[in-house]
Amino acid sequence: GVFTYLEMLEAQAHEAGRKQEEKKQQEEKLARLKKRVKELRTQKDKLQAKVDLQQKGQTGREGTVSDTTDASAGAVLEWKIRRVKGMLQVFCLTGISGKLTKQGVCFSISTAYEGTYLDSYYLDLLTRPEVRIHHHSVPIFIPLEQIAKRYLQTDIRRFLSVLSDHLNAYAGRKYQADQLQEHFSDQLEGTLQRNSLYNLLVFNYKVPREGKTFPFSARLIYRDLCCSLPTEAMVSCTVKVPESLEETAAAHSELFRHVALHKAFCSFNSAEEKVA
Amino acid sequence: MDNSMCQVYEDEIQSLEEEIKLLTEQYEDIQQESTFYSEEEILMAIKSFQSDFQGESKGHESLPDLKAQLESLEADLSFLMKFTSIQFTSHSKKTVERTRNRTVQKHRLSGNCYSLSFQLEFQLLEMQDKEKVSTVITDLSVVMESGEDVNVSKFVSRTEERGDLLAFFRSLSSYAEWFEHRRRTFLHFK
Repeated sequence: GVFTYLEMLEAQAHEAGRKQEEKKQQEEKLARLKKRVKELRTQKDKLQAKVDLQQKGQTGREGTVSDTTDASAGAVLEWKIRRVKGMLQVFCLTGISGKLTKQGVCFSISTAYEGTYLDSYYLDLLTRPEVRIHHHSVPIFIPLEQIAKRYLQTDIRRFLSVLSDHLNAYAGRKYQADQLQEHFSDQLEGTLQRNSLYNLLVFNYKVPREGKTFPFSARLIYRDLCCSLPTEAMVSCTVKVPESLEETAAAHSELFRHVALHKAFCSFNSAEEKVA
Repeated sequence: MDNSMCQVYEDEIQSLEEEIKLLTEQYEDIQQESTFYSEEEILMAIKSFQSDFQGESKGHESLPDLKAQLESLEADLSFLMKFTSIQFTSHSKKTVERTRNRTVQKHRLSGNCYSLSFQLEFQLLEMQDKEKVSTVITDLSVVMESGEDVNVSKFVSRTEERGDLLAFFRSLSSYAEWFEHRRRTFLHFK
C-alpha cells in the first residue's frame, strides 16, 4: 500500500543522494590530483632549469668555485659535514672504518673481491678497563675468539688485520661459489655442496668433448682460512674415460688451485671452444 | 572512466616525484662538488651564533646540532687516520652519472701511509637492485713513489688490473709498516 510506496520513494531518494555524493567526491579527487600534477610539473621544471644553469656554469676544469659570499653559517657547516662523511666513506673502501662510541670504538670491517664490495661486519669494542668485544656481527664459523685471545689485548691493529684476512678470504670463497652457480648453472650437475665456511666445496659438472659430455666431479678443500684459493683440488671423472680426459681432469685440478673458481670455468670453456 | 583518469594522474604524480628526487640529488651533488670553503670560513661558521638560520628548504638542523655533528664526525676521522696510519691529504669526487638505480662517481684521492705516499683515481659504481646496493670499483689507477721496489710496482699493476682497491690498502698498511720499521732501524745504526 501507501506505506510501502513511501518506503520505496525514500529508498530511491536516499540512493540518488548517495550516488550524487559519490560523484561529487570523485570529481573533487580528480580535481585534487590534477592540481597536484600541475604543481609537481612546475616544481620539476624549476629544478631542471636550476640544474641546467649549474651545468652551464661549470667549466671543463674541476674545482670551479661557485659564489660562496652569501653562504650562511649553516650552509658552510652542512657542506663541511658532507665532505667529512665522504672521507669516512673512503675509509670504508680501505677495509677498516669505525666510529668512536661512549665506551670505546665500533669498527667496521669491509670485504671485497677484486673491486666488488661484499658484506661488511661490525665489531663494537669496549676499551676500559681493558679491550673487550661488546657486540659483533662476525659469523660464528669465523674463529673470532681464537684471534681475539691471541691479539686483542696486545695489538688491536694486528687483531683487526688478521680478522679482516679471515673475513675477506671467506667472502672471496663465497663470492666465487655464488658466481659459479650464477653464470655456469647449465654446466653444473645438481647443486653445489659446501660447508658454512665455504672451505669445502663439492660439485659435479659436465665437460664437453667431441660432441659428448662427460660427468666430472670436483672436491675442493681450502685449508688456509686466510686464502680464497683451495689447497687441494680433487677432480675425477665419474665414469671410465679415455686417457685424454684423465689429463683434462688433472689440468682442471691444477687450474682450480691457482685460479678463481668462476674464472677457471671461463677459461676451460673458452679453451674448449678453441679446440672444437 | 573516472577511475582510469585517476590512475593516470596517480602514475604521473609518482613519476614526477621520482624525477624531482633525482634532480634534487643532482643539484645537491653539483653544489657540493663545485663549492669550496677554506678552513677560515669553516672556523667562522663554527664560531657563528646565527640564531635564525633559514635554510632553503625546511628540515634543516639547528646550528648547534650541526656543530656537534661536525665535531663528532671529525673526531671519528681523526681517530681513523691515527689508528690506521693512513692519512688522506686530498679527496675530490665528481658525480658523473645519476639515475634511479645507478650512481657513478669519479674519485681522486691522495695521501700517505707512514712515509709512503700514493695518488689514486677510480670510479665508484653503486647499483640498487631492489633492497640490495652493490658497490664496484672500476678504472682504478694507482701512483706510488716506491719505484725502487720491483715487488711494489708488480703489486700495484696487479691491483690496478683487478680494480682491487681494498687489497691495495690492506697491503699498503703492512708494507708501509715494514718499510717504516726498516727505515727506523737504518737510522738507528747511522
